[in-house]
Amino acid sequence: MGKFEIALFALCAAISIAGALVTVGARRPIRSALGLLATILGVAGCYLLLEAQFLAAIQLIVYAGAVVVLFIFVVMLLGSASTSPRDAKSAVPRYIGAGLFLAGSLAALLLILRIGTKVEQVLPPTPAGFGSVEGVGGELFTRYVVPFELAGALLIVAVIGAMAVARGKQPDPTLRPAAEAAGAAPPGASERGATEPAPGGKSAEPHGGA
Amino acid sequence: MSSFLVALAPLLVVGLGGLLLMLGEAFAHRERGGSGPSADLAIGSFVTLAAGAVVAFSLWLVGPENLGGAAGVAPFLIIDRFTLFFDIVLCVGGALAALLAGGYLPEHKLDRGEFYPLLIFSTLGAMVLASAGDLLSLFIGLETMSLGVYALVGFRRGSARSAEGAVKYFLLGSFAAALLLYGGAMLYGATGHTDLAGIGAALRGGTLTGADYGLAIVAMVLVLAGLAFKVSAVPFHMWTPDAYEGAPTPATSFMAVAVKSAAFATLLRVLVSAFGDPASMSWGTGWPPVVALLAVMTMTVANLVAGRQESVKRMLAYSSIAHAGYLLVAVVALMTQPGIAQGSILFYLLAYTVSTAGAFGALILCGSRGKEAVSYEDLAGIGHRHPVAAAAFALFLLSLTGVPPTAGFFAKLYVVRAAIGGGFLPLAILLLLNSVVAAYYYLRVLVYMYMREPAPGAPVAAPMRSGYVTAALLICAAGVMLLGLWPTRSLELAIDAALAAR
Repeated sequence: MGKFEIALFALCAAISIAGALVTVGARRPIRSALGLLATILGVAGCYLLLEAQFLAAIQLIVYAGAVVVLFIFVVMLLGSASTSPRDAKSAVPRYIGAGLFLAGSLAALLLILRIGTKVEQVLPPTPAGFGSVEGVGGELFTRYVVPFELAGALLIVAVIGAMAVARGKQPDPTLRPAAEAAGAAPPGASERGATEPAPGGKSAEPHGGA
Repeated sequence: MSSFLVALAPLLVVGLGGLLLMLGEAFAHRERGGSGPSADLAIGSFVTLAAGAVVAFSLWLVGPENLGGAAGVAPFLIIDRFTLFFDIVLCVGGALAALLAGGYLPEHKLDRGEFYPLLIFSTLGAMVLASAGDLLSLFIGLETMSLGVYALVGFRRGSARSAEGAVKYFLLGSFAAALLLYGGAMLYGATGHTDLAGIGAALRGGTLTGADYGLAIVAMVLVLAGLAFKVSAVPFHMWTPDAYEGAPTPATSFMAVAVKSAAFATLLRVLVSAFGDPASMSWGTGWPPVVALLAVMTMTVANLVAGRQESVKRMLAYSSIAHAGYLLVAVVALMTQPGIAQGSILFYLLAYTVSTAGAFGALILCGSRGKEAVSYEDLAGIGHRHPVAAAAFALFLLSLTGVPPTAGFFAKLYVVRAAIGGGFLPLAILLLLNSVVAAYYYLRVLVYMYMREPAPGAPVAAPMRSGYVTAALLICAAGVMLLGLWPTRSLELAIDAALAAR
């Protein structure tokens, strides 16, 4: 790896780490989203340096182009009301936490460097056609076909899980006016974690009209 | 090509079954006020998962070494007797959870069809995790299993407790997965391999430079931490009681049984295949002292805290942490007695699966909508009001305690024998002392069920009746008695499976 590549790598890595810090530490959600964008751009740069140009393009199109834009849409739609009062509190504990984490990571890195003397190249050189559409497609559907198909199962679970969590919203009897709650749940049930909706209330009928 | 499919048959049966059930449910016509989706889906999921177990068992009988296709999916999925044993355990755990859900969800007005596909695909992820021989498929399996379980924990959306448990589990679980992934990336950087066998060969070969070796050690710590989170070993257990308590009880049972078994399967594979070299396996320079420390903390802390719980579900959550500690004792014994220790772990997981699923099932049967059995007080006098549920509960708790004619006794016996045989007498003694502590809180349930009457006017749990839950309890009871009275055959199977994992 030449000096120029190392400088480029340092730049990309710095951009992505700075973006990640902004994502976690920012008080406004929109800044978090833009921090995430910076992280994604930095990682795309790292992919390019690794000669994985197709992956870098996909990273930009899917994550920067689609995912972050979706986040920004949601943030804009919800508006400033979506910021909870707790978010407006002092950010000092967050920075302390981030600093501790950073210090810990640095200490681990230094420890690794202390244990050994030099890092040797053990990875084989990239084969011809690596990182191109053909290269990625060929690997994906021959050698890595099993993990590729399994990733399909992972996506199915993610979709069903998101649906299960989003659709299951039911009113919480403990949050209702006292009179109604008393009729809905037997006395003593509320502090015992009984969380069923009132019979005949706004219970989501999962199958039928939907 | 076809042999390739035969080798994957257990996974395919479960995956395709889950897809078909989802499709069928999407086009099912249901009248309002009629029976909910559980009526069909619980049986469908049970049949799918049981079919997965049967297919895995027939592959066992054929012998995975006779399958031409098994090499085709390696190293991503390793199809050997070890994998097939875990396929059976996981499918049984999932099938029991499906039956429990068939009774629990309609009773508690949670009857939404998404529960069952999530359960089935989580089981699929767990099976992938148990068979993974490569960090890639290991991570995909782990995430498939975990994502499904996160959603299952948050299934009771209206409840603050469920949301708290789900968010805690999700955030901490993602963090643990990130640790594991970070460790995996370091392992790849150090050795140039992502397959566990290749990593093991590189470490065993002694060709790594100092820095690479240091990197591999740091990676080992990170991977261990990630997996310790999944088996909920102390100090990575903070999420467990909240998630277990917030989740619907069938999902809790699934987490306690299948998620833990799959995590132990992959822990064994990683420790034996990737970190099985003499240096990593030695007491001075490897993982055994770390795992021993985890085991001691897990057993002791979990048992001491479990005794102070007032909620029975939380008590069972801490008890599942404690059982992870007992299993970690056997993991330490891998150092000197690999075959026997692994066999005892597999047998323990089988016995633990039927006992724990049964205990959660009995807890479900003890309460009905709005009158769930939560605390010990709720269970007072249930021995007279619902003798069947109480008797089943008693049987499974005795098995968890480790009382002789039940499965739990032999499970603990084999683990203790492996620990003593491996030269870890202090650990074995600590395990036995902890079992005595555990007996206190298990037997306390029995005391409340049979010897106490509810205080007048106190809220009591009203028992429910459900054919599904009763069926699950019968299966568990049969398993507990079978493993308790004739343990030799299943132990032989477990040792066969253990010897296959090389």
